[in-house]
Amino acid sequence: MEERENLLKIFQETKEAIKREDVLKLKELGNQTIHTASIVQDPDSIAVAIIVYSLSKIIERNYHKNSKWSDEIILIVENIIQDLQKDDTKLFRKDLQKIRHSINQFSKKLKVYIKEVFRKASINKASRIYEHGISMEKTAELLGISMYELADYAGQTGISDVLLGKTLDTKDRIKLAMDMFN
Amino acid sequence: MTEEKMMIFDASSLISFAINGLLHELIELRKIFNGKFIITNEVKSEIIDRPLTIKRFELEALKLKKLLDDKIIELPSAVGISDDEISRGTTHFLNLANTTFYEKQKNINLIHLGEASCLALSRIFEKKGIMNVIVIDERTTRMLCEKPENLRKLFEDKLKTKITSNKNNYPIFEGLKLIRSAELIYVLYKKNLSRWNDSRILDAMLWAVKFKGCAISEKEIQEIKAIG
Repeated sequence: MEERENLLKIFQETKEAIKREDVLKLKELGNQTIHTASIVQDPDSIAVAIIVYSLSKIIERNYHKNSKWSDEIILIVENIIQDLQKDDTKLFRKDLQKIRHSINQFSKKLKVYIKEVFRKASINKASRIYEHGISMEKTAELLGISMYELADYAGQTGISDVLLGKTLDTKDRIKLAMDMFN
Repeated sequence: MTEEKMMIFDASSLISFAINGLLHELIELRKIFNGKFIITNEVKSEIIDRPLTIKRFELEALKLKKLLDDKIIELPSAVGISDDEISRGTTHFLNLANTTFYEKQKNINLIHLGEASCLALSRIFEKKGIMNVIVIDERTTRMLCEKPENLRKLFEDKLKTKITSNKNNYPIFEGLKLIRSAELIYVLYKKNLSRWNDSRILDAMLWAVKFKGCAISEKEIQEIKAIG
C-alpha cells in the first residue's frame, strides 16, 4: 500500500475530528491524499480522499443526527487504524468499504441524499486532481466519473485562470482557427 | 485521400458544445468548413457510448450520436485511416506522455486514451500532408504540446515538490496545432452563424464554454472580445 504512514496519520486525525464534529478539519484531511492521488494514482488514496470528504459533508449537513451512525463510523475508523498499523491492505480496503455501507442504516430518503454526497465528493476530488495537472479524461477515469460531470464542475472553478495555463498568444490561436475556415 | 482540412475533436470540446446547447452552431460551422470534423473511436466512447449508460447524460449522448449518424462528425475510417494505425499511434503517444514528468523516480500518468488518440491522428494527417487542428478544451494536453515546461512548473506549484522531466520527449509533442471551443465560438460569431442576434452574444458564448470546462481564462476572453 502506498503512503501507509500518511494514511495512518489521516485516519487518526479523522477519528478525533468526527468526535468533535470538526467539519473544516475533515475537509482538510480529505484533501491531504490528493497530492499522492495525483502522482501515484493509487485507488486507496483516491478512495480515502472521497470518503473523508464525504464524512465532512454528512456531518456538515447534520444527516447523522438522531442516529448511531457516528458511533459506528468511529468503530470502523478504529479498525482502519489497526489495519494500517498491521499493514493489512486487504482488511483496510474491506473496512474502507464498510464506511460506504454504513449509510444503509439511514432512512430511504436520507440514503439518497448521502449517496449524492459520495457522488459529488468524487467529482470534487476529480476537479482537484485535474487542477494539479492530470488531464480531464485521465482524472475522470481514475475517479470513475464521466467527463461531462468533471467538465461541468471544473468550469466553475478558477482552474482555467491560472497564468501558467496560457500557452499561446490569443491572436495567434484565433488566426489558427480562422485559417481553418478560409 | 482528399485535399480537405480536418478538425479533430477531443471529448472535452464536444462536451462544451453539447451541454451548452450549441450543437446547432456546430452544425452551422460544419456546413461552411471545407473538410471533415473527425472523432476517434476512443473519443466516441467518452462522449457517446459511456454516457448513453448514464441517465444524467443520456440526452447529450444521443444528440452527439445523431451528429455522428448524420455525418456532421465522422470517424477516421471515413477518410481511410484504419483503427489499427490510430491504435499504434495512440499507444506511442500515451507511453511518451506518461513518461515525461517524474516525481522522484515515479512517472506521472498524465493523459488517457482519447486525448492520446487525437494527438496520434493529428500526426497521421500531418504525415499525409493534410492540414488539421485538434479542438481540445482540457488544459493538460494543450500544455504538454505547447508549453511542457509550464506543465512541469504547475506540478511543482501544486504538489509542492520537485518535478523532473524527460526533455527528450518534448519535441514529440511540438508543432501539433490546437484550438479550443472558444476559438470556434469566435469563428461562428465572425461568420454570423449564431441563432441569436445580440451584441452580447460573443461574450455570452465564451463565458458559457468556460463554465462548462473550456480552459480559457477571463483575460483571454477579454482579449478575444477586443479582437472584435
